[in-house]
Amino acid sequence: MSRTGVLVLRLAGPLQSWGASSRFTRRTTESAPTKSGVVGLLAAAAGIERGDDTRLAPLAALRFAVRIDQPGTRIRDFHTAHHGVTGASMPLSERFYLADAVFVAAVEGDHALLTGLRDALGTPVYPPYLGRRSCPPSEPVDLALHEDARLEDVLTSVPWQASAWYRRRHRIPQTLTVLRETAADEPAQATDVLRDQPVSFDAAHRRHALRTVVTAVVPIPIPAGGSPRDVHDPFAALDVLEDESA
Amino acid sequence: MFISRFRVNTARPGARRLLSSPQAMHAAVMSSFPHILPSDTPQPDAPRVLWRLDQRARAEVLLYIVSPDRPDLTHLVEQAGWPAVAGPENPGWQTRPYAPLLDRLTTGDRWAFRLTANPVHTIRRKEGEPRKLTAHLTPVHQMGWLLDEERQKRLGFRVCEKPADRRLLPEGTTHHKRPHPGDRYELAIRDTRSLSFDKSRDSGSRRDKPVTVVTVTFEGRLEVTDPDALRRTLTQGIGRARAYGCGLLTLSPLTQHAQKIP
Repeated sequence: MSRTGVLVLRLAGPLQSWGASSRFTRRTTESAPTKSGVVGLLAAAAGIERGDDTRLAPLAALRFAVRIDQPGTRIRDFHTAHHGVTGASMPLSERFYLADAVFVAAVEGDHALLTGLRDALGTPVYPPYLGRRSCPPSEPVDLALHEDARLEDVLTSVPWQASAWYRRRHRIPQTLTVLRETAADEPAQATDVLRDQPVSFDAAHRRHALRTVVTAVVPIPIPAGGSPRDVHDPFAALDVLEDESA
Repeated sequence: MFISRFRVNTARPGARRLLSSPQAMHAAVMSSFPHILPSDTPQPDAPRVLWRLDQRARAEVLLYIVSPDRPDLTHLVEQAGWPAVAGPENPGWQTRPYAPLLDRLTTGDRWAFRLTANPVHTIRRKEGEPRKLTAHLTPVHQMGWLLDEERQKRLGFRVCEKPADRRLLPEGTTHHKRPHPGDRYELAIRDTRSLSFDKSRDSGSRRDKPVTVVTVTFEGRLEVTDPDALRRTLTQGIGRARAYGCGLLTLSPLTQHAQKIP
């Protein structure tokens, strides 16, 4: 049996928008990244074309989970656009975004496949975006690749990724919410369903299947990076020398 | 040599007057040394009094002074400090001998550093015009000023390069093929300020032409290449506008925490 691994992504940017059920002119967003959005991001980085369902299938089969590290604010954009060439009005639409949110997304599956995807994120064929083309990530999304690990364990150990201003302004929560897929051998329990299991990203007939989602909480891991404030202390240089000579 | 640290009480009117005028701050710093008269002209190569303001948070401003003599900052405490809480264990400022650090600098040592400087060059905008002193205004030029090979050699240190796995531009250049020092070196620009003030209040001729100084705060890591030159740099300062809080380089040990900061 081939080895499994977990690829962890940090999804943070000024705006994100993860639609699962939006059609027509009201483009809503879920409150956490969708599997179709994240798999689409990985497929784009690997250069899988939109109609190529054969190459998409192994990516869609990865087990997916997302942790909400900083929920962000939902904002609504009343969108009035004109055609770039003819100047004709485009349909009025409402677009919803999550502002200033940070998520940790993880996919579990074959280690070799995940290594390839991690490398693809370093030199992506199509640049990654957070749900909508107009929402670029603020930092490289690749966080870590864990070998022989389980999705649940990894999301319990990855440090809290909320930004420094958020950590300063809010009281540190005790737990973080994790939305994950059930494991193959897991008994069905209280689950939600979401239509975001990608089947085809073909521009002509995009198709998604239903996916079960378990909501769980994990205790908060220690924040990354220690103190958010960097302190340059020239007196520390003198102290170091005194310690050495003592 | 001595290094001193003084925390400014930003709520006091005296502190506001000093913080808003580099000239007033310079006068206040210089009057901490009873042996130096305002009329004294320092020797060109002698150690001199250098100072710098570090603002860590909105109301946390620290004044660092490096000087040949031990300063007496009592008047600063009275104007812009916390005189009421001054006690034996909290004198309001700290002064420590600088020699232990200066004596033990050796080639190859690595330190974190901070420097506020006034990066300038002289240019001629058109043929036949006299050369004019002009400030560097963009981060790339400002970094280029400090990274200049001749300058680094003269100052006695070299700014460290980042390891390849922490660089975002593997080619070393941006997509326009321009070099990007911030990605290649352990160097960041924290703050750029433009100071503008009247040099003299009474002489009418200079009144309409204020002094302008662009100050840049550099932060990064350096490797000592010439301990003697670095000693001179630490005690005599770097570049111009040393009377206005520029030129003081300070070192701090590279800790685990500091190494994590990109």
